[in-house]
Amino acid sequence: MGILNPTKPPCSSLFSTHFLKPTLLLNSKIVRLKPQIHTLYTTTNNNRSRLSVTIITCGKLKTSKEIKNKDKKASGKIILSDSAPPVVSEESGGGGNGEKVPVKTGTGALGFLKRLPRKVLAVLSNLPLAIGEMFAIAVLMALGTLIDQGEAPQFYFQKFPEENPFLGFFTWKWVLTLGFDHMYSSPVFLGMLALLGVSLMACTYTTQIPLAKVARRWNYLHSADAIRKQEFSDNLPRASVQDLGVILMGAGYEVFLKGPSLYAFKGLAGRFSPIGVHLAMLLIMAGATLSATGSFRGSVTVPQGLNFVVGDVLGPSGFLSTPTEAFNTEFHVNRFYMDYYDGGDIKQFHTDLSLFDLNGKEVMRKTISVNDPLRYGGITVYQTDWSISALQVRKNDEGPFNLAMAPLKISGDNKLYGTFLPVGDVNSPNVKGISMLARDLQSIVLYDQEGKFVGVRRPNSKLPIDIDGMKIIIEDAIGSSGLELKTDPGVPVVYAGFGALMLTTCLSYLSHSQIWALQDGTAVTVGGKTNRAKGEFQYEINLLLDKVPEIVESSLPKQSDVASG
Amino acid sequence: MIFLTLEHILTHISFSVVSIVIIIHFLTLLVNEFVGLYDSSEKGMLTTFFCLTGLLITRWIYSGHLPISDLYESLIFLSWIFSIIHMVPYFKKHKNYLSTITAPSTFFTQGFATWGLLTDMNQSKILVPALQSQWLIMHVSMMVSGYAALLCGSLLSAALLVITFRKVIRIVGKNNNLLNDSFPVDEIQYMMEKRNILKNTFFTSSRNYYRFQLIQQLDHWGFRILSIGFLFLTIGILSGAVWANEAWGSYWNWDPKETWAFITWTIFAIYFHTRTNKNLEGLNSAIVASIGFLIIWICYFGVNLLGIGLHSYGSFTLIS
Repeated sequence: MGILNPTKPPCSSLFSTHFLKPTLLLNSKIVRLKPQIHTLYTTTNNNRSRLSVTIITCGKLKTSKEIKNKDKKASGKIILSDSAPPVVSEESGGGGNGEKVPVKTGTGALGFLKRLPRKVLAVLSNLPLAIGEMFAIAVLMALGTLIDQGEAPQFYFQKFPEENPFLGFFTWKWVLTLGFDHMYSSPVFLGMLALLGVSLMACTYTTQIPLAKVARRWNYLHSADAIRKQEFSDNLPRASVQDLGVILMGAGYEVFLKGPSLYAFKGLAGRFSPIGVHLAMLLIMAGATLSATGSFRGSVTVPQGLNFVVGDVLGPSGFLSTPTEAFNTEFHVNRFYMDYYDGGDIKQFHTDLSLFDLNGKEVMRKTISVNDPLRYGGITVYQTDWSISALQVRKNDEGPFNLAMAPLKISGDNKLYGTFLPVGDVNSPNVKGISMLARDLQSIVLYDQEGKFVGVRRPNSKLPIDIDGMKIIIEDAIGSSGLELKTDPGVPVVYAGFGALMLTTCLSYLSHSQIWALQDGTAVTVGGKTNRAKGEFQYEINLLLDKVPEIVESSLPKQSDVASG
Repeated sequence: MIFLTLEHILTHISFSVVSIVIIIHFLTLLVNEFVGLYDSSEKGMLTTFFCLTGLLITRWIYSGHLPISDLYESLIFLSWIFSIIHMVPYFKKHKNYLSTITAPSTFFTQGFATWGLLTDMNQSKILVPALQSQWLIMHVSMMVSGYAALLCGSLLSAALLVITFRKVIRIVGKNNNLLNDSFPVDEIQYMMEKRNILKNTFFTSSRNYYRFQLIQQLDHWGFRILSIGFLFLTIGILSGAVWANEAWGSYWNWDPKETWAFITWTIFAIYFHTRTNKNLEGLNSAIVASIGFLIIWICYFGVNLLGIGLHSYGSFTLIS
């Protein structure tokens, strides 16, 4: 079996090892008592007989005082379980009935209600269900990228027509009824996520935590047979278990010795970290929920020199969104400017912002740019976009006039803005004039009344250009800053979840390795198992065992000092 | 100019060397006597690694930013990671099956990056404002490393599937040397057919033993490399989210690339969960990992091909 299933899951290998423990520990009192404490295992393993044995060995590890206490309890419990044995056996797999349940079973419906949460828990923590949920979420997300999101209904009528359904059945009705036009906020998707969240909690509570509790206990194996049945086992003919212990300690193991028995383990964090991963996921989910229900968002395009009030821009996203004092802050765009590469491409854009409170006092000033947002009183201001709002133009030393720039649509990512300076009679039906185009704040391209190219001017050069006898000076190009504002109370929670997830995922790479050894005369039987790095574990153990000194005087196993190495 | 020439030379050297390595791999498979060639193929991969390192450093120096800002560069980076993955077991004296996967992967990613449709892509470009962040290094290197490791792991799983579904496999008569050595799945099939005549019930048990050992090894190494890949992918996605919260104003935008990265993550999360359940282990987890292989390519290329969403920096058009 070891060969066929090289990577036994932690849960089943745990059970199988404990199952192999010596039967001399069997104690009828504890057998009956224990299932009620550890019944939660049954959600993952239906084998009842294994289950009970597992529990016995766990019990054995407890101090004698504890066991005494248990015995006291047991006297009462045994009667209970005797009084209602059919209930226990009829319950699916011995089921998740807690300690109180057997008492109540006699009372019928009430007992069922008491058991219901446990049953629900058992269903939710079912692994195939969780896998199904994850798969469904993956499929829904993929659909969300395939179907264009956030379009008007007409778009879907055209794209998924009823006459010619996609795959024979998929029409716009499906899209609109299920809310797939806004997949990531559709009830189906959110419901699936919520279900996954609940499954995560149920699984952590009913499966992972009990498993980890068992793993934390250090326990000796008292029979060579049990040790030999581990995934890895070896026999050292002339050696002492103390030497082995020292070598294992040197290799980073925690070693426990009791008489002829040795138990050592390493990488316990690897056993606990999956719980941490689940909890981190829950934390992220909670944070995301908080973000979705409690945040404000808004975007604004402000020309250089103008003001806006935060509260006017931000719009709430959910029912938990509550405005704060900082919403009265007024922002003033002192300056908007861009950096360019040598080739003329835009490198970065910046906005110099001043913040004023209600009394008109400046509370903060910062120059923001892409990747460098401003944070004030829970509000974050991002530089996301830019445009050109106006050109300041002097015509024949008149002015300056402010000419509003309009965005011209062209294909591709490049922006293009244009404006028009009328020449002659403005009220005539076909008014002619000078066209000015700009891709950025660096240079303005000018065309005359016939549409012929005249020249290029930099806004700050003050260099006049002569068009049909008119002297045009471009004084300045005024940019406007595209800002995005938000408040998001979920971010700290989500970040905490991110940190925890990274840490626990890293720790999950560790293997939890356990080694047992038993001195049997002059020989030492060594066995071990690990939950992840099986290949490396065997290699490592073989190396370590090679270092264990061989004892020459075979009758004295404990005199490791005379070992020959 | 000197940088461009240097880059050209390095590209061609590394690509030629990796092609020779692949030929050597095939030769050692077909003709068993050339055992010595195996070592030279490892040296060849070492050469490839240094050439790619030189290539990346050259690009870094003359473009002034980390050379992982567009698709061409990320492909070169990917094949660099493949060559690292290839060499790790070599230095640890751990022979395993990864070299079968990593050498051709390096070959193909590099071939794709250097050839044909991406010729106009390999001009180093300027960095748009949103990419000018310290997070670029962390996010992209982690993502690409994650992809590389996950691709290797899922290919191992796919190999496991193919081997499992073969009725008979011919490994008898070959010693463990071959088992530890690497060979593509096609070769197994080829040899299997060639020696089918020798099929004998007497050998069946030992044949199955070796087959199980092979499957077990594939399963184990697939799991280990996928764990590393998953770790990198997690860190990559999370650092990307933190970066997005700095640059775009939200840590999650349901951008297509983001979404597909999350789908990839979910698929491999499913893989690890199937492994905790005894009934689903082995074959099922291998199927999931093989699906993951497709998903990674959709995430890495498919989304770029469409050029949609916020991650359009790496986009390319087939007709250009």
